[in-house]
Amino acid sequence: MSNRFTRWLGRLGPTLVLLAAAVFFIAPLVSSFRVAFHKVPTVLLDRHTWFQKWSFEGVRRAFDEPNFWPTLSLSLRLALITVLITMALLVPTALFVHLRLPKARALVEFFTLLPYVVPPIALVAGIAAFYRANARWFLNTDYALAPFYVVMAMPFTYRAIDAGIKAIDVRTLVDASRSLGGSWAMTLRKAILPNMATSLLSSAFLTATVVIGEFTIASTLAKNTFATFSFEYFGRDAQGGIGLALLTLIGTTGLLGILTLLTRTKSRRAMSTTSRF
Amino acid sequence: MSPSSAGTPPASRERRGWAWLGLVPFLAFLGLFLLLPTVGVIRKAFIANDGNFTSDGFTSAITDERPAFANSIKVSLITAAMGVVFGTTIAYAAATARRPKWLRSAVSAFSGVAANMGGIILAFLFFTLLGRQGLVTKILTDNGWNPYESGFSLNDFSGIMLVYMYFQIPLMVLVTLPAIDGLKTSWREASANLGGTTFTYWRRVGLPVLAPSMMGGFLLLFANAYSAFATAYALNTQANLVPIKISFFLQGDVTGRSPLPYALATWMIIFMAISMGGYLILRKRAERWQR
Repeated sequence: MSNRFTRWLGRLGPTLVLLAAAVFFIAPLVSSFRVAFHKVPTVLLDRHTWFQKWSFEGVRRAFDEPNFWPTLSLSLRLALITVLITMALLVPTALFVHLRLPKARALVEFFTLLPYVVPPIALVAGIAAFYRANARWFLNTDYALAPFYVVMAMPFTYRAIDAGIKAIDVRTLVDASRSLGGSWAMTLRKAILPNMATSLLSSAFLTATVVIGEFTIASTLAKNTFATFSFEYFGRDAQGGIGLALLTLIGTTGLLGILTLLTRTKSRRAMSTTSRF
Repeated sequence: MSPSSAGTPPASRERRGWAWLGLVPFLAFLGLFLLLPTVGVIRKAFIANDGNFTSDGFTSAITDERPAFANSIKVSLITAAMGVVFGTTIAYAAATARRPKWLRSAVSAFSGVAANMGGIILAFLFFTLLGRQGLVTKILTDNGWNPYESGFSLNDFSGIMLVYMYFQIPLMVLVTLPAIDGLKTSWREASANLGGTTFTYWRRVGLPVLAPSMMGGFLLLFANAYSAFATAYALNTQANLVPIKISFFLQGDVTGRSPLPYALATWMIIFMAISMGGYLILRKRAERWQR
């Protein structure tokens, strides 16, 4: 009896810790959900007003903003371009290192971690320092953001791709495909890439999430992306701004979380990298 | 990808030399979009208006912006320390819980999401919770205690640090969860069989095994908070923190002549190099027990 009681007491601590953490992490989501869909000012909130005036009006107002679609479309295009450049650059590099140049593995990995040393706010100072002076035409296009986003995302995109390669036996796949007469292109398309689909997909999603939420570089370079629009719009219309923020969260981070849960069972190793660190 | 076959015997020394060419696109890309900007920052921090080398701008940045440095370091140290404590505690609670079964994966999946959530959206979410018109502010005020009258404000450092905890804690959970999984039940049993108490186990086995992860996590969290821009900016565009100062001076510096933003950015790169370098070294050490 007393033994059971001490065991119960021993579990009580961890349970309370997890409950407190859950409250801290869920509370901001709950309160912003209310602000987004409940048109009652917080001051007037009480038992009587709690069930009145719930609506999608705020979100609808946000959709009607003239800058909503152009900025969203720019951010989606930037995300797509960033993902494409990342894949085109890092997949061949990672495969090449595995198959032909294993002794360069540590060095390449080290290079991919360098963006951690130059965080976005320092990188944008560098962009201003170098490109403003030497290639202003380049900075004038909105798409100039994409290569820098590739660099920003590289520490975790490379890790995800690298883990995807490690999880499959690339060497055997290549040897098998080649000895059956497959060309390199066919080996890549039919043998290697399908087996890496999970890790490629998760790194693509994570990259897109980062691009759509990226504010530091875009705002300092005065680009009208979805994040800078959201910030400016929130200043004018808090309810619509919060609604937009919640939708963005569901559209990017939420999808990423679901993806993480779905793929977790398949390969633990590859999934542990579906995070920025 | 080189078109030559992979099934042939090991390449000769001469061909090995050529193999390095396969890294050219990757290195060229990093050179253009990471190295050039970095060199650009450092160069501008050390070149005076007349084109001569000087370290004046670099050193005077510290004295001119002393409060920003002090605030940034303070915010980063405090949120990193609290992140280590809470993150490790939560990770331990989640890792040792037997039921419900989905708890552990839920905690780690959510941490992966929340660690990446820093930015303007996070700031918006907290405005609805703890802003002047926030839900919790309202509940507390209705119960007789207005946090804004006791010195709390979402716009000053108390608020900024609280919001930072939303991504610092999950980041620490991600760092320590594998390390805690590495603590084997057999070690605890061995310690108990040799007459060790729970305290001896933690002092002699548990903490020494976790220490590299915790110290590494501290450095990672420090770097994470020190370089965070968007969250702080959205909470208070005037906050006196180094990242916000860099952005402010960059936008104000139309002529590109002032070394100040570049000096601040160079200092940031130095800070990052030290703390991230330490983190990576400690992570290597921590992984020793995670097989």
